[in-house]
Amino acid sequence: MLADKMMPMERARALAKGEMVDRLPCNPNVANGVARIYGCKISEFNTSARTIANAQIASYRRFGYDGVRIFTDLFPWAEAMGAEINFPDDNTANLAKPAINDISGIFNLQPADPYRDGRLPIHIEAMKYLIDELGDEVGCAGGIVGPFTNAFFLLGIENLIKLMFKNKEVVHRACEVSLETCIRYVQAIIDQGLTPTISESMSSCTVVSPKHFREFGAPYIKRLVQYINSKGKPVTMHICGKTAKIWEDVVAMGIAGFSIDNVVDLKQCKEQIGDRVKILGHVDPSAILYAGTPTDVRRAVIECVQQAWDAPKGYVIMSGCSLPVETPFENIEAMMDTAREIGYPVDPEKLNKMLSGHNYSFSRYNE
Amino acid sequence: MSDLKDRLLKELSNSVVDMDEVKTIEIAQNFVKHNLDAYEAIDKGLASGMERAGKLYEEEEYYIPELMMCSDAMYAGLDVLKPHLGKNEGGHKHKVVIGVVEGDTHDIGKNLVKIMLETSGFEVVDLGRDVPPMAFIERAKEIDADIIALSTLMTTTMENMATVVQILKDEKNNKIKVMVGGGCISPGFANKIGAYYASDASKAVKMARSLVEKTIVC
Repeated sequence: MLADKMMPMERARALAKGEMVDRLPCNPNVANGVARIYGCKISEFNTSARTIANAQIASYRRFGYDGVRIFTDLFPWAEAMGAEINFPDDNTANLAKPAINDISGIFNLQPADPYRDGRLPIHIEAMKYLIDELGDEVGCAGGIVGPFTNAFFLLGIENLIKLMFKNKEVVHRACEVSLETCIRYVQAIIDQGLTPTISESMSSCTVVSPKHFREFGAPYIKRLVQYINSKGKPVTMHICGKTAKIWEDVVAMGIAGFSIDNVVDLKQCKEQIGDRVKILGHVDPSAILYAGTPTDVRRAVIECVQQAWDAPKGYVIMSGCSLPVETPFENIEAMMDTAREIGYPVDPEKLNKMLSGHNYSFSRYNE
Repeated sequence: MSDLKDRLLKELSNSVVDMDEVKTIEIAQNFVKHNLDAYEAIDKGLASGMERAGKLYEEEEYYIPELMMCSDAMYAGLDVLKPHLGKNEGGHKHKVVIGVVEGDTHDIGKNLVKIMLETSGFEVVDLGRDVPPMAFIERAKEIDADIIALSTLMTTTMENMATVVQILKDEKNNKIKVMVGGGCISPGFANKIGAYYASDASKAVKMARSLVEKTIVC
């Protein structure tokens, strides 16, 4: 692996001031794969804040990427509100049963207490360890699932979908109580000194229509973003899948950065909203980072940079979504090394050469 | 008479597209009352409605929720019409074993593929979600299936798809074809593990048809 000349925090501050840096920020979004680097089971994250933080720190130290985050799966908030979760021994948690089975239970739904309910206190404790240890050198984030996506896990995915047609009030009610949980949790993130990031996977046009998103998702997500902004914090949002039809809605919420899936046209995204938000994305986490070779990764990173390096509000090289747990380490290294090789300021000519040239540089890294 | 039938078939198709469960039931009942052929009502009414809905989905007019509501309407109509089907309909049907791989409990996509396969003449055995690799293979052999269709939404569980393909390969069982799909699956991944890829439910049906047709030719 090549060495960096700047710390991520130093790089971020310099970029914000328009000063010279060593390279573009790059965040492969390693997720629960950190367990493979640290050498623990993923299920240990369910009970040990220390292990969550240690694994994050170990992975950061190994790859030197530009952002660490406490976020283990999509379900801690729904769980804290009564949903049942499957906890595989060494894989990511998944939803077993929504918080309510019958819409008559809707009025029993209560917002979660982040310091008491489910795994939330463990995550908050992990945030403390993370910021204590890495706060000076790299941006530390607390991840949260947005209020709309979380509402799906409260009511059940199929149920909520049907209720959008049959009983709108129940969906709104679930989103409202979900939002209250989100607000309390982001306040806890901010209180620990970290920055919130929002994942809103179900807002995707791959899942719901822009019309439903505007009716049920956007109003609540916007209030969450506004709450975070009112506390003086910027927020980055990730939505999986297709999003082009809702870009303007998302930008209008007041987010600072938007992280896009690899199914989206990066260049088009930059051209349409790059003047208002930072763009993060979108190396394919599955076909390239998980299933590809370091050479494939290098090419994909260069192609992303070609499309978005000149984004007016900034660009971060990122994967299109959280990496699969078994993503080969050498591919994550290749992603970082390509960012280092590209350097800064980005030179489009050099990118062309890197793409057309043979991979002499890679054989060198692989030694 | 045939004017009435054509009108009802069109209405049936429309009520599915319009996601109107109650109306679909009413029209199906009306169809039966006039002693019209129930099989035709399914094929040219309900299935045609689902096919149109699938097209609207491809055109991004409809999304997954709309498709689910359409399929609810279709199933409601199916419940009315099924008891009136003759016994010998269909003849030999190609068989598919479908399920969501172990570790994942998202099954919207899988359910849609199942419905679309059923309405286009496949016999589908649904193993549900969170299914271990061996369970697919055992069941497929048991019913002499042509295809195993695997779905997953989460990148964390893709490995299990490769396992299914690998077991079949190890057994030198190349009669059973494996189809994969789901949010995180790409053609590149499918290619790498040696499976066939479909990007959405209607493409899955086309893929399944072409796979069984190929089998016949071989």
